[in-house]
Formats: sequence, C-alpha cells, structure tokens
Amino acid sequence: MSAQGPSPTSTEIHAGIEQALAAMRTRFPDRFAAATTEQLLRDENAKILGKKGELTSILSQMGKVPADARKAIGESVNALRREVEAAFEEALKALFQAKRKAELEARPFDLTLPGRVPAQLGHRHPLSIVREEVISIFRGMGFAVHDGPEVELEENNFTKLGFPPDHPAVDMQDSFWTTSNHLLRTHTSNIQARAMSSRTPPMAFIAPGAVYRRDDDVTHSPMFHQLEAFLVDENVSMAHLKGVLAEFAERLYGPGTPVRLRPSYFPFVEPGAEVDIGCVFCKQPDGTRVGCNLCKHTGWIEILGCGMIHPVVFEACGIDPEKFTGFALGMGIERIAMLRYGVPDIRLFFENDPRFLSQF
Amino acid sequence: MKASYQWLRSFVPQIPDDPSAFAARITSAGLEVEGVHFYGAGIDPCEIVTVVSMRPHPSKSGLRLVTVDRGAAGTLEVICGAPNVPDPGGMVVLAPLGTTLPAKGMTIERRAIAGVMSEGMLCSESELGLTEEGEGILVLPPGFAKPGTRFIDAVPTAKDVIFEIGLTPNRADCLGHLGLAREAAALYGIPWQPPAPEAPVRFATNGSKAADFIKVTIEDGERCPHYAAAVLTDVTNGPSPLALRYRLASLGVRSISNLVDVTNLVMLEYGHPMHAFDLDRLQGAQIVVRRAKAGEKLKTLDGVDRTLDVDDLVICDGNGPLALAGVMGGGDSEITASTKRVLLECAFFDSRTVRRSARRHGLHTESSHRFERGVDHGDTADALAHAVALTARLADGIAIPGIVVTVGRALERTAVTLRAARMNALLGIDLHFEESLGTLRRLGFEVRIHEKSAAATSSAECLVPTHRPDVAREVDLIEEIGRVHGYDAIPAKLPPIRASREVGDKEESAQKARAAAVAVGLSEAVTLSFLAPKVLAAIGAPPPAVVLRNPLTETQSVMRTSLLPGLLDVVGRARRHGERDVRVFTVGRIFLGGSEPSGLPNEPVVFAAVLAGDRAAYLTKAQPIDVWDAKGAAIAFVERFARRTPDVRALAGSARPAHLHPRGAGVLEIAGTPIGTFGMLHPDVVDALDVGGPVVVLEIELELLAKLGVAATQYVPIPRFPPSTRDIAFVVHDDVAVGDVASAVRTAAGALAERVEIFDRFVGDPVPASHANLAFRIVYRALDRTLTDAEVDAQNERVKQEVGARFGATIRA
Repeated sequence: MSAQGPSPTSTEIHAGIEQALAAMRTRFPDRFAAATTEQLLRDENAKILGKKGELTSILSQMGKVPADARKAIGESVNALRREVEAAFEEALKALFQAKRKAELEARPFDLTLPGRVPAQLGHRHPLSIVREEVISIFRGMGFAVHDGPEVELEENNFTKLGFPPDHPAVDMQDSFWTTSNHLLRTHTSNIQARAMSSRTPPMAFIAPGAVYRRDDDVTHSPMFHQLEAFLVDENVSMAHLKGVLAEFAERLYGPGTPVRLRPSYFPFVEPGAEVDIGCVFCKQPDGTRVGCNLCKHTGWIEILGCGMIHPVVFEACGIDPEKFTGFALGMGIERIAMLRYGVPDIRLFFENDPRFLSQF
Repeated sequence: MKASYQWLRSFVPQIPDDPSAFAARITSAGLEVEGVHFYGAGIDPCEIVTVVSMRPHPSKSGLRLVTVDRGAAGTLEVICGAPNVPDPGGMVVLAPLGTTLPAKGMTIERRAIAGVMSEGMLCSESELGLTEEGEGILVLPPGFAKPGTRFIDAVPTAKDVIFEIGLTPNRADCLGHLGLAREAAALYGIPWQPPAPEAPVRFATNGSKAADFIKVTIEDGERCPHYAAAVLTDVTNGPSPLALRYRLASLGVRSISNLVDVTNLVMLEYGHPMHAFDLDRLQGAQIVVRRAKAGEKLKTLDGVDRTLDVDDLVICDGNGPLALAGVMGGGDSEITASTKRVLLECAFFDSRTVRRSARRHGLHTESSHRFERGVDHGDTADALAHAVALTARLADGIAIPGIVVTVGRALERTAVTLRAARMNALLGIDLHFEESLGTLRRLGFEVRIHEKSAAATSSAECLVPTHRPDVAREVDLIEEIGRVHGYDAIPAKLPPIRASREVGDKEESAQKARAAAVAVGLSEAVTLSFLAPKVLAAIGAPPPAVVLRNPLTETQSVMRTSLLPGLLDVVGRARRHGERDVRVFTVGRIFLGGSEPSGLPNEPVVFAAVLAGDRAAYLTKAQPIDVWDAKGAAIAFVERFARRTPDVRALAGSARPAHLHPRGAGVLEIAGTPIGTFGMLHPDVVDALDVGGPVVVLEIELELLAKLGVAATQYVPIPRFPPSTRDIAFVVHDDVAVGDVASAVRTAAGALAERVEIFDRFVGDPVPASHANLAFRIVYRALDRTLTDAEVDAQNERVKQEVGARFGATIRA
C-alpha cells in the first residue's frame, strides 16, 4: 500500500483498494500452487485471510473510503474472500489427493517379512486334544467323568474285575508294584470296580487317565493313557453297546464311519469284543476303502475293546447280575492320537520336543 | 497259532476252497487271522527229475553240467553249482524255465554261463521256500516218483496256505488243528466228528504190556490230574519223511527226528503237548510226578542248569527230575540217534502250576503255552494212541499194547443252564432257541432242553465239553452263540442313559488349566509320572511317597512328588537339540504321603511351567526371559483359571523353596493363602539336572486354587467421560522397591485415578549413580463428569509432593 506523496483522495483510495484486490486476485493462485505441504498452504491462506492477513489490512482502510463506495468494495472483498477460500479448499483437496496417491503408489510393503505373532501361542498336547474330544463325545451322550487313583489296591485293579490271582497281568512281569504292596493301575477299569462298589445303578461313567504297564518299545510306553466308558442299568444289552460305539465312531471319525465288532476276550467282560472302524486313511469319496498300510489292507482299523460286564464283576462289587446288566468299553488314547496324527512312535508323545508340541 | 489250510480241509473237506473268505469267517467269530502266508509259493511248475549224466563245466571250476530226465518231456541240461548232485539214477527237483521262486526272488531264465546254456535250475529246499536249511540241492531217493511228476503232487504238504491266527487266551481248544476243524465246522454249520486215532502198524504180540515196562506214580494229584504213558520198542530214530518235515516247517516247527517230530505233530493236531523219553535212560523203570524238592537240579533241553523250586512240578524217574512238567524236558532222558525204546507221555497238568513254573524259569514253550491256557483233559488217550501209531509207522517201532493211565484227581464236567430269555436280553437280538442250541452242539456241548414250556421261559442244560475249560457260566454260552451267529446281526441302539453326576473334579481342573495355560502362551508337555529319587532330592521336592518294587530302570523308580523334574528334562533335552526357546507346562498328578485308611497316597493334580530362552521379539534383538516373565505368566494363568488376581510376595531366607534362586523367588497368594510359587531356578539345580542354562519356573496347586473358588464375573460400567493422563517421574535410590513407590503413587493419586502404571525404569546418565528414574502414567477419570485440567493438575501435584517426600525423590518433568 502506497503512502507516499500527498494524501490520496478517497477516490484514489477506492481505486487503490480495487487495484490491490486485483493484484491479490492475480497472485493468490500461484502462491497456493507454490505451497507444497499442507502447513505451507495453511500459512499462505492465513497470510491472505487471517486476522492479520492482507485482506484484513485492506479492509482496515475501508474507513477512508466514501460511504457510497463501501458497499462495492465490500462486495469485491467478499467475492475475493470466497474465491480464495474456494481455491484454498481446492488446493487442500489437491494436496490430500496427491498425498493419498503417493501413499497408495509408494513401494508395496514387503510381505515376505515374517508375520508378527500377536502374542506367544500355546499348544495343547495331542494326547490332551484327543482325550478332551473323546470325553466331550461321551459327555454328550450322558456319561459323566469319574476320577480315581493311579496308585491302586490289587482288589480294585484285579480281584473285583475277575482276574485270578495268578493271571499273567497280576505278576511282577507285567505290572508295577509299590513297596506298600499297591500297584500302578494297569487300566482305567479300576474305576468300574470303585464306582460299582460304592453306588447303586443306574450309572454311566467315563474314566480317563494314565495307566502303567511294564513295557517299553515303539508301540508301548510304560505309562500311557486310557479312557473307559461303562453303563450299568436294567436291560442294558449288546445292542446298546453297539449303539454307543456307532455314535462314538460317527462323532470322532465322521458320519457314516462303519463299525464292526470282532469277538475277543478280556477277563472282565463276557461277551467281549474288539472294535474296528472303517479305515480312515484309505477311504474313498464313495465311502469304500481300498486298503492301505495303516489298515494292513483290510479296510479296518482296531480302535478299542469292549464287552458286556462280566457277572463275576457285578458279584464282586455287590450288584445283582440278574437284575442289572451293563457294558464297558476302553480305548488307548495314544493309539487314537497315533492314528489321527500319523505319529509312528509312542515315545514321541513323552519326549515333548518343542518341534513336536508346536505341530498340534 | 499257525494253521494249515490243507490240514484243516483234510479234516473238514466241506470248508470252501477260498482262503480269504475262510479267514474273514473265522475272524468274525473271534479267531482273528492276523496274516496269511503262502508256503511253497510258486513251486507248482517244479518237477521231480532223474539225473542221467553229469560233466564238468568246460571253463568254470565248481560248476557241473547235469543232464536230467523229465519223463515225457525228454531230457535237458542244466548248470549246477551244488556239491551234492547225486549219481545217475538219483532224483532231484528241477525248476523249469519261466518258474518264479519268490523265496529267493528269482525267475529261472535260459542263460549262458561262460558259453554254456542252462535250461533250468536244480533247487535246494531254501530256494523252494520250504525250509531255512540249504546244504546243497534237494536229493530224493531213486524211484521217489516218476520222472516229470510235479513236486507238489508227490509231496502235497510242500504247498499250503498258512493262517497266522491271533488266539485269545481263552481259546486253548484252537491251539490244535482238530480244535480248529471243530470250530470251522461249527461256523459253517457242518456236522462233524473228530477222526479216530490211527491204529499202529506193528505191535507186540508176545503178551507184554506197557505196564510191564513202566510204573507211574502221581504224588501231587492237584497239580497233575492225569498222566498217560505208552511204550514202543525197536524204534529207529532218523529223519522224518518230506511230507512230515514240510508240514512242520510250514507251521514254524523245525524237524528234529521222526521220534521228536511225531510228538510235535500230535501237539499241532490235538493241541495237546506230549513228551518222548528214552526209556533206556530212565532209572528204575518208573515215573513219579511230584513237586520238586528245594534245591533240586535239572538240566533242561536248552542246556540250562536249573535250580528247582518246591512249587515246581517235575517228572522223575527213580533217580530224580527228568522234566519240568508241561514246560520242558531234561537232557538226561532226551531222545538221541541211538534211542531204541521210547516212552511217550501225554498228561494233563494244572494250568496255574505250569504258568508259575514257566514264569519262574523264564521259559515260554509251545508246551507251556498250551498247558497255561488249558488243554483238553479228555483227549489224552486218543492223542497218545495216535502218537503211538505214528511212531510205529515212521520209526518202524513195535507198539506195546496197553497205555498206562494214572489218575491223580477225578475231573468233573460242568453243566450250565442256558435261558432263552436271558440270551436274547443280553445280546439285544431275537434268536431262535433251538438253532442256538444247535450251535452249542456243533461246538461239542451236550445239550438237554428242559421240559417244554412257553418260548420265553425255555431253558436247557448244557454239559461243557472237556476241550472248553473256559466255559463256566451261562454268559459264556451266550457269548458262544453270539459270536458264531455274528455280532453284525446285533442292531445298534442308543441306550436311554439316566445321567450320573460327575465324580471328582481332577479332570475338570486339568481341562481348565490347559485352556488357561495355552491362552497365556504355554505349550503342554505330558511327562512320565515316575522318575529317579535323586532328581527329586536335587530340587528339594518332598521325598518320594511311592516307591516301585520292580521299576524298569532306576530313572523310573519312584512316583513324582513334583512336576518340575519332568519339565526341566524337556528343556534340557530341547536345548541339547538346539531348541533354545521353550515355554512348556504340564498338568498332572503328584504322589504324596496319604492319610487314607487304605494307605494309598494322595494324588493332587498340580500345574507347573518352565520358561527358557528368549522372549518373542520382532526384527529386533531378542531379550532373554527373566523372573518377571515367570511372574507375569503366573498371574495371567491364575487370572484365567480362577478369575482372581493373586498377590505376589518375595520369598527370602528360610521361606524360600530350595529350588529357587535366592534373588528371585516369589509366592502367589489369594486372600492370604499361598497357592503357588515362581522364580528363577537355582543355578545349582540347573547344573545338577543338566538343564543347560537359566530357566524360570512356576508351580500352582490347582486343587487348592479351585477350592478357593472362581470369582464370579461382574459387569463394570464402561466409563462415558474422557480420561486425563499425566506422566510423572521420580528419581529414587535404587534400593527402593518399585512396588512400594507404585503403591505410594496409587494411594496419593486417590479415587480420581483410574489406573497407575509404571512405564519406564531408567538407570544411568543423567540419573545419578545408585539411583533410578521411575516414570509412571496416571490416568484420571470421573464416572459422572469430565474432569477439569485444574482439578487434575491439583491432584497430580499432591502425588508429586507425597511421593517425593516419602522416598526423598527428585521429581522430573
């Protein structure tokens, strides 16, 4: 703004203002265009429109302008303000777009860098996965869990289950005995003896847990795990046993899994049977089995032993075998896990190599 | 049990000629066929030929060119390297061109050896897959067969299908082919009677009787109910004929000599073990069956000198023990090449007696295997008669008439009542009673139906045959009927289960603990419950309460009183495999001294974890796990498990568990009750257990924790007003516990402070020596309004004053 020479007339001031406005109008687009960041743009905008900005300083001269011209100037100023504001918004938008574009078009992130693990991940042991799954299947059918000791009396582990005193399983060769003349239970069937001795039917229990036998090789560990289920009530028949087995096989191995019973022998059941399921490894989409190494080309895989509870067991536990009947079935958890996960050596379960555990 | 299909079909010709169908049928009835072998596979084309002439190979020494006569097929020349090619006229076995012999994996092709063509191969028994022995080619006497006869036509036992049957211990009746034949006939519904024993071809006609040769006394009738003996004279011990040798070989029995082979063959036929003594080597022409005297000695056939136990049953002569009854014979009375007179024994020994002796002496023989399971006590006379006839025929002996039968104790046959209604109720199926009884009859039961009544109340009395000692009760008969009928016929029905209540909560606790531990980033290990007592001592765990009398190894000789050694073993092993970062837990029982009247131990379920290696880091240098990782894991675990936050206190002095580091041991408490410990493992323990470096550990008593109860989750309103955050830092002497400063801050910050947390602890320049800069972040918030800066600043100022004054702290901006 010129302040030289004699005081300008109001007309001259008016003209000067209009001139200044015109100059601003011609210059602000370039000034905005030169602002390469949002901050520079906002600074430039403030220089023009801010409280101490150029437009404000022009308006401060309004008092010197004749009243009749003020309206026109006011309109000019407002028009310019709108133009500047619009241009600012436009420039801001352009800057945002440029920035967004740059952000989107910059070099992609290197997704070959490893993923950051959200937190340490823990793994359940495969034996626990199988155990909990089997328990939940039987719970779903109405069986309840029954705990019992691993160090057991001979009475509960053998005698009440109908093992004669010189049965091979009883002696030092096959079972672990303690210096207190107890033994490490050789099966979870001790729970049958305990449950049936302490309560009256009906009862439907599952007993999972560790058991012990004096074996140690690729398919035998001196400690392993079993899960036993038994039902005692009036009128329980082998058809019910087959019903529970079929349901179990379907839930564990999928719908339509065939089940077959082969007569077998266990001292505490009669009739006794071993149970095969249709091989889950060589099953074809049409449901047939072509045979494979795992089922020894038979199409069948043995998964458990079962039978109708022997009257001798009922008698030993104080239950009338004429009134009540029942079935029991027992499976090795390691065997199911070995089949399911293709684990070739039972000892891997107890070595607990971190590279093993992290696979499940 | 190995079973010959050919032999079985000779007893029951109606069995279909379809080995796999047969295998499936008997498997479905409980005789599980575990394998099928083809004995003499591929030998069909092999023929018996006569040696015509022989000349040496023109250039290869040791080889000969043998011309053989194939009868109608003419002659041909083969190259043979065997040293025992017979003189012209002798017979050998020729594998013609094109024959494939699987035993040696070879196919016979026309080929030239050093310029001379061979048109076939002369075979040894091992090349034919018949026996393991292979000293040269198989040589047959002149006139054995017409030249050109197929070998398997001349010796049919050279080709057979052998089933490997996994018999359950109750089915001793099927440990012989006659028993298997009976079973097979019953399964196929074929009427069947066992064949009568062969009659001897030569017997003494001079009026002598076996009783003139031998006197038998049973001193222990309980252990030896029956003893039958027979005598043959003028026997010639020598090799058995090929047919017998191959029958035995196909069933896994090595041929010894005709006298011994006969006893084995009869055992395989009747399932009844026999024994042959050289009668001339017996003292006093007598047999005494008695219990051994303490310290008595017997050298068994395997050459071992054994000291007998008074519980052993022995067969003696006038001098002393000859054999361990039912288990193994002795060397002093053994059959030899020069044996002339033989005593054959067929006895019935008590199964438990034989089992105890076999176990005691570590002997498991074909004989003990059968006696332990229970042989047929009704067939001793037949089996013995058959053996006598075979011996007379094969060893050219003279049978002395009159078997000497001695009874130590009369054996009763049991009668069992079968009720139709019970049978169907137990099997869950509706079977026809008469048909079911037919099944029992075919299995050898004598069945008498009780007076006719309504079908539902029909019953029958079943006399158990002597070959089925396993059948004692009605349920055993029901099983017989069920298994022969087939379990496939039983429908599958879901039972109406009247639910029981869960008994015990160990499984529940273990499941919850697993879920909680996995959620806090630990992986589960399952470790053995037994370990070495010294590792318990090394970690200062309670001394073992359960000690095994017969452990497999010293390292598995006591039941654990702590889970830690098992987990530390996992870490040590992992480190030796180069796996440094291990975060494992286990849930399991420990075995502590019990208070139960039964004397059984207490078996609480406990939880333990071990952390080793580095904390997870991302593209930065990883930091080693320290005691605060253990503290964090322990608190997080307890919070997950019980929804309660435990208080943590350092354990020092005598309160510190011995396995923890004196500088880093803590206890977790809920409402003043200790529920577990955590800390750094004591370096002495690290060394003693070969853990391979520092680790942190924690142990939680799950059952105690469960007993304290899981806190009920209660919803807390989510604040609607904004927080105001202030950071504040104090420089304090570094012997001041951070927890004390933090709780002072907490107290001073008052009710408006929603959260106080330490976010930095800095030591070093510019902080003065022996001092630490502790930076806290305090989040202020009111639930009912937005706080003003003024009131927050005022409160924060109070924090500065109070905490500063209390700890002599310098306040940093």
